[in-house]
Amino acid sequence: MSGAQQGGAFDAIAVHNFCEKISEQVIHFHVMKMNGGFFLWVGSSPTLSNLAVSMNSKFDAMPLSMLLMGDKSETAPNSLAQRLAKKTKKQVFVSYNLPVVNTNLALQVEDRIKKEMGNHPEHF
Amino acid sequence: MSTTMIKSRQTEKEINGVRTQVVCTEFSNYIFIVLTQYGKIGTLVSVTPESQSNDVSMPMFSTKVLMGKDEPLTHVCAKNLATCVSQEAGNRPVLLGLALKDSSIEAVKLMRDLIKSCQVW
Repeated sequence: MSGAQQGGAFDAIAVHNFCEKISEQVIHFHVMKMNGGFFLWVGSSPTLSNLAVSMNSKFDAMPLSMLLMGDKSETAPNSLAQRLAKKTKKQVFVSYNLPVVNTNLALQVEDRIKKEMGNHPEHF
Repeated sequence: MSTTMIKSRQTEKEINGVRTQVVCTEFSNYIFIVLTQYGKIGTLVSVTPESQSNDVSMPMFSTKVLMGKDEPLTHVCAKNLATCVSQEAGNRPVLLGLALKDSSIEAVKLMRDLIKSCQVW
């Protein structure tokens, strides 16, 4: 295949959706798996209100993280991206579209993501 | 409980011998497009229509590189690829991930068609 000769020897981008009822609301998850990383969107309505990126660095035990879009005072997208990058060793993009006041919800959301990663590692 | 709240479509094609993938995802306030020949997001550009009062039929677009190579060609490619998407999507801004080996005008034209074949808006 000429695609492989061109250095295109990577898997096709794969999209995976799942959802979970957490604290009386349905939370949707949308994952796009790419070559060496993934994009994860979390929310209960279909908006894209922020975007954080994180990846590991050999100079620091904690992955580097940066907010690319959205309100800089919101730490949820950054910290989620950072923790997922640490867990997966991949480049991680996160868009977190849930109320940030509820830290318990954020923890439950993170647990749900990690559960999905455990059950379906092929999607991340 | 429906598992899909987010609508997305994807396709793949060889353009000038290079494997090219497109994934279009619809959000209520954004269209997110990944156009890649490396299988990754690469450079991330946001393309936003400017509200202009003097000519509604010809809106202006501003481009901002959020991550990656901030060079003139990136802005030109992004505008070229995303302008018609934004217009068709009711002037929604477009978030574009670009990782291209070939940014010739011929290739970009074919990529524009490829994006159109994944219309989610």
